[in-house]
Amino acid sequence: MYNTLILAWEYMKIGAVAIGGGYTVVPFLYYLVEKYKWFNVSEITQMIAVSNLTPGPLGINMATFVGIKVSGVWGAALTTVAFMIPSVIIICSLSKFLKNNKENRYITHIVYGLRPAAVALIAVAGFKIMSTVFFHFDKFKVSHKFFDIISLKALVLLVIFIAIGFKIKKNLVILIVLAIILGLFIKI
Amino acid sequence: MNNKIGLLKLFWIFFKIGLLLFGGGYAILPFLKSEMVDKEKICTMEELTDFYALSQCFPGLVAGNVSMFTGYKARGTLGAIAAVSGVCLPAFLSIVIIFSFLSAITHYPIVQNIFSMLDIAVCVLIFMTIIELWGFSVFDKFSAFIFVLALSCAILNVSPFIIVISSGMLGLIRHFLFPKEKTPCASCVLDEKKQGGEDV
Repeated sequence: MYNTLILAWEYMKIGAVAIGGGYTVVPFLYYLVEKYKWFNVSEITQMIAVSNLTPGPLGINMATFVGIKVSGVWGAALTTVAFMIPSVIIICSLSKFLKNNKENRYITHIVYGLRPAAVALIAVAGFKIMSTVFFHFDKFKVSHKFFDIISLKALVLLVIFIAIGFKIKKNLVILIVLAIILGLFIKI
Repeated sequence: MNNKIGLLKLFWIFFKIGLLLFGGGYAILPFLKSEMVDKEKICTMEELTDFYALSQCFPGLVAGNVSMFTGYKARGTLGAIAAVSGVCLPAFLSIVIIFSFLSAITHYPIVQNIFSMLDIAVCVLIFMTIIELWGFSVFDKFSAFIFVLALSCAILNVSPFIIVISSGMLGLIRHFLFPKEKTPCASCVLDEKKQGGEDV
């Protein structure tokens, strides 16, 4: 019960500051892992992958996932609702406000400052994910072979995926489906 | 233009849209266009692209925010709530359903192998997101400065809440320091989006 309430509160704060869609939540997931240890880092990429495969906005998928992991279905419901409350309040009052005046200079400037920060946070989260996927220091400590540090196979696959990603641009779900199919046949 | 639409119908329309959104909510625009612009005539395509651009500028999920804007246009605050619950419910239900199934299979080696393959794909997804956001987030010296500052703070493990809030402050401070400088306004982003939005 205590955990549920803490999680809902944390998620409400996330909902109030996460600008620009689902991936902005990812850095905050790392923050949650560090602060509360409710789940571990490798589960974050699992959540992202599953959220990509299921219908609906990514952020909702992830909020439900985190909620269910920490405190069951009801916790998930509470977390998801808590996550949405700030944006419901903000967008409704903004809609009311925009009826009268088209733009507010202060809002514009705050938003101007927020967006680069959101990009930076996503970049660092992406780097954290990359470092766990491509570098295996623990393996190196055992074998002392240099090539065990970097997973070359994974790097080659990364390059292929990036090439495909640039080719299709929209509908990147295809990448997830492709990864599942490859995962069935290629040992990584 | 503004013909009344039932709250339940609004919820149902957005529920259907929510079911179709795979890979996150960024792909919501074409669905909204066919339902809200072409069929129900709640808003115009112009308004919709404005809503979409604004949604990226404010806290919350893009799909959720754009649903709320259109819902609000149709039926005010209640409409916004009906729309956002409709669009979010499929996401919630699908995770609840999939979760029990998932925890039953994760210990198989083949599933773990699939997940490590997925890790790589997720890296690419995040990389592509950064590229997409970069264009209208980091476009002049000061925003580049905020980016570098936020990046170094994030590497040094400063709480993301502190980073986000102080970057918002920095944006405001810039306004007070250089009031005459031409401001990178939301409407510039809007115009840019409008031009880009036509090929959607």
